[in-house]
Amino acid sequence: MSTSTYKRFEDPESGVLPDKMTVYQESQRAFRASPIKAKKCRRLLSQLVHLLYHGETFNKTEATNLFFSVSKLFHNNDPSLRQMAYLAIKELCSMSEDTLMITASIMKDIQGREAVFKPDAVRTLSRVLDGSTIHAAERAMRNCIVDSNQAVCCAALVSTYHLFPVAKDVVRRWANEAQDTIGAAKSIVRSPYAAQGGVSGSSRLPQSTYFHQYHALGLMYQLRKDDKMGMQKLIQQLTGSRRLQNSFATVQLVRYVGVQLANEVQVGASIDASATRSWPLFASWLSDKSEMVELEAAKVVLSAQLARVFTSEQQMQAISTVSKLLSVPRTVTRFAAIRLLSRLAVSSPEKVRPCNGEIEELVNDPCRSISTYAITTLLKTGSAESVDRLVKIIGGFMDDITDEFKVVVVRAVGTLALKFPDKHRVLLGFLGDALRDEGGFTFKNSVVESVFDIVKFVPEAREDALKLLCEFIEDCEYTELAVRVLHMLGEYGPKASKPSTYVRYIYNRVVLENSIVRSSAVVALSKFALVGDQKLTLSIEVLLQRCLRDVDDEVRDRAAFALHLLKEADGSPEASARTRALLDPQTRFSLASLEQQLCQYVRSDDKASFARPFDASAVPTCSVEDKLAEQLRQKMQGEGEIKEGVKAEMKDEIKGEIKGEISEAGGETGAAFGETLTTQAQQEAQKSQMLVYARELATLPQFESYGDLLHSSQAVELTETDTEFVVRAVKHVFKHHLVVQYDVCNTLKTLQLENVTVIGQLDSDAYQEELSIPIQLLRPDSKASVYISYKRPDSGYDAANLSNTLSYVAKDLDEASGEPAEDDEGYPDEYQVEDLQITPADFVIPAFTGSFTAVFDSLPNEEVAVYNLGSAESTNMQDVVAKVTRTLGMLPLEGSARVHSESTHTLKLFGTSVDGAKVGALVKLILSSKGAMMKVQVRSSDADLSLLLANVWGEN
Amino acid sequence: MGFETSLYTVEAVILLDNTGKRLFAKYYKAPHENAVEELIVSKSRQLQFEKMLFSKTYKQNSDVLLADNHTIVYKEFTESILYVVGSLSENEVLLYNVLQGLTGAFEILLNEVDKRAILENYDLVALAIDETIDDGVVLETDPSAIAARVTSAPSEDATDIKIDLSERGLMNVFNFAKKNITERLQQGF
Repeated sequence: MSTSTYKRFEDPESGVLPDKMTVYQESQRAFRASPIKAKKCRRLLSQLVHLLYHGETFNKTEATNLFFSVSKLFHNNDPSLRQMAYLAIKELCSMSEDTLMITASIMKDIQGREAVFKPDAVRTLSRVLDGSTIHAAERAMRNCIVDSNQAVCCAALVSTYHLFPVAKDVVRRWANEAQDTIGAAKSIVRSPYAAQGGVSGSSRLPQSTYFHQYHALGLMYQLRKDDKMGMQKLIQQLTGSRRLQNSFATVQLVRYVGVQLANEVQVGASIDASATRSWPLFASWLSDKSEMVELEAAKVVLSAQLARVFTSEQQMQAISTVSKLLSVPRTVTRFAAIRLLSRLAVSSPEKVRPCNGEIEELVNDPCRSISTYAITTLLKTGSAESVDRLVKIIGGFMDDITDEFKVVVVRAVGTLALKFPDKHRVLLGFLGDALRDEGGFTFKNSVVESVFDIVKFVPEAREDALKLLCEFIEDCEYTELAVRVLHMLGEYGPKASKPSTYVRYIYNRVVLENSIVRSSAVVALSKFALVGDQKLTLSIEVLLQRCLRDVDDEVRDRAAFALHLLKEADGSPEASARTRALLDPQTRFSLASLEQQLCQYVRSDDKASFARPFDASAVPTCSVEDKLAEQLRQKMQGEGEIKEGVKAEMKDEIKGEIKGEISEAGGETGAAFGETLTTQAQQEAQKSQMLVYARELATLPQFESYGDLLHSSQAVELTETDTEFVVRAVKHVFKHHLVVQYDVCNTLKTLQLENVTVIGQLDSDAYQEELSIPIQLLRPDSKASVYISYKRPDSGYDAANLSNTLSYVAKDLDEASGEPAEDDEGYPDEYQVEDLQITPADFVIPAFTGSFTAVFDSLPNEEVAVYNLGSAESTNMQDVVAKVTRTLGMLPLEGSARVHSESTHTLKLFGTSVDGAKVGALVKLILSSKGAMMKVQVRSSDADLSLLLANVWGEN
Repeated sequence: MGFETSLYTVEAVILLDNTGKRLFAKYYKAPHENAVEELIVSKSRQLQFEKMLFSKTYKQNSDVLLADNHTIVYKEFTESILYVVGSLSENEVLLYNVLQGLTGAFEILLNEVDKRAILENYDLVALAIDETIDDGVVLETDPSAIAARVTSAPSEDATDIKIDLSERGLMNVFNFAKKNITERLQQGF
């Protein structure tokens, strides 16, 4: 052993990373030498790829030089050197210039007979070629695809796959070769140069691994994916007599069938035929010998998009396959199975419930991701009866897991409390233990948030939860949490049955904590003075007086301010109202629009605009209840949505594991409740959308006298989206007017429209057309709005049918100039679009209420209507719920937007009319063998509204 | 969530050592498309990703995890960890199959898979990975089939002068010299 090699073994950093410049220079020398020393060159190449795979880069000149010198190695015919040279060329290709010069050498190898590096040559070629130079290789590539050597064939297919995006037409020409490959037999050739490892003697080389099927199928899909019939034929062939032998290929085929079904669902085609046709395939895939095929088939059958394609028995069969996979020894398979179930549990917990036994066994799985998934799944599927037992299981488990997982568990428990308000005692107990336990900030924060949710949304548990929070701040090390808890106490404490109990806890903070906590405690205290209890108000004033001597000026300021307001409140009722508005405001600014308007103000170019201070009263506000409505909606949406929004900013803070799960849950639910959520998402979008509308309408002087915009409906498509003119309508409600906005889009390239207006005909006398604002000029590919306003009756929300006809003067455009001929007067024309319904729901704004039952019971004017929805088979409960919610235009409460049973469901809806009348609806749905029935019970402070809403389906 | 229909299945293959340092890292992109993802383009983002991976997997023994919107399967060797990264919706078992193909091939090619063996046989490791995954498309997952595609380094440089010291070899040398000298003599005289 020479000294140099001896040293190499001793030095711990040896061989870690060769020096970049040394390798570069030595390569230049050695590769260009003659004769070429194969062993030395291969070692140099090895160092070169080591550098590249370590992330080192060469500049363009260096890379090009290296590329050229490596190409010199083609003078040596040693196969092992050539293979390594190909690897280096492939990596250098993207960095260097003039790579095309090597084509000839590569082509020689491709046409040659040397099986060792032929596949490498083929794969390298696809990096060198592009769309314009591929022709040169066409023949050679085709020959390689039909080669009987599996490696050559695969290399050619994969290279073709890489080249497809840049050379679609050329590749299409060899579709036949690719298709034949799927069925052809290919074999693996043992190379005489193969590396000799210790075990290689005993390892048996298979005849063929059929990987060419996978690549050929992938390529065929690229070629055929737009040709529905062609794809169907291919699928038929591959599932008939000649089955695929490769699992990867089968997985791919499962996906293609899934995509086909999904496309059919999307275009709304009748799916029954294709569903019956494809089910036998899935049935056989669900019991495939390969776990990955079973898993993929289950994924497709259980996917949210195809929920309507497969019957529940078929889905149950898929679930039983998955539950079988839960108990296999391979960790990855168990993980995949439980992940699939937990995702499913978000949308349809009842389907996962039968596997609860198997899932419970996974709670103690050595792999922590699996056990966490198992717990969260159990929490989602748990019924009211099993909550107690579950909480006990988790309680025993909490000490063993890290904070990161505790957060996931706590969050799941929090959702459970919203789902089963009756069980709040057990769940609060659990959260209380969690609060008392040791834990970091993120963990405590998640517990506190869960408790907050209970305070906000579970009225019957509110006082217990507040008590828990009181205890928590007695010994809380995190200032931020203490501040939030104090705010919460200030918000809800005064509304509790005995407000005075909280005062002591809050005042303790004033005595014991740092200035930040003290100042927020002062604010919380001042809110208790407004309860109306004279004695309590006096005591609060005394306490606040003491705060005036605080060492911190912020605390003193806040106390002084509160005292001043309280003193004023003793005077007139207006002053007392003002005090209340400042100390305990019932409305909040809509933060998005506040931000937007502030930005607008600050960015204004006009100096004059700064003469006036920013006008906060112009910012839309929403009541606390609305705010809560929004929060609850988000909570119920699979608890993920909010976090997802924050995800972007908090990328590094939220740990990947949880994030993965959450984003998944968010995405999945989104798809699962497609329609319900669209309404909800739209409602959310509507708030900001309404701002946009309001601004647009404000620019039109005609509507100035109408006052504030009260409500805008969702946009309704009046045409198909691919017709020559696309028309959408939005209904805007003002105090005495109804304005219909028609967004007209001209999709024709050669036609210009002038004087576009809509002739609307109402079948009701309740509305009188007042004025219309036409579009003067509508250029091709552009969009503008026609407005038509109607006077609406002062009271009542009459339904009406508005038939619409688009009327315009059309002018053909000259293709060259893009302008109409000067003497063209155009020709008047009309275009019929669909009717627009004005329904009572247009006058109802979705709203939230903390306790639906109480509010509902207190409302007078009950109206009941019963509807027969036809046969039960054709009715999907979830669809009906979504449709009813949309038609009534109200907000589903207490999680009733989500269907838990296919036979009965109770939907609770709430909203307010544009005139401020509260309205609630209790919709009971029953699906039985006799048919589908719906009972609608509407209560409102406005008798007309009750009647109209209850009978909203009456006319049709 | 749509179904993955692309053959570009593997997003990255990474080998880290027992301190979390990079031994091998290849983030795949389709060869004829321009990558936009930060993880492919930016090296610092990659290193950050690898650091996160290492902290979550070192000595954890659980084969699979979801992180940073990827599904990752991994295998720990002596002083080194091999990761195969796929998309969040990728079939976990399929990815694991790729990982097993690679680990199996490593076991055949290197007598013992550890950090030193990987560094000393870097060409074999790089070739094995290249023969398993071609820019994200899985080529093969059978360990022996992968290993069979990898060539070992030439045992010695063919152009080196071989000195054969056997009796016959000496005779050859002698004859060669005799012939040459005879020729020279004939030419000279």
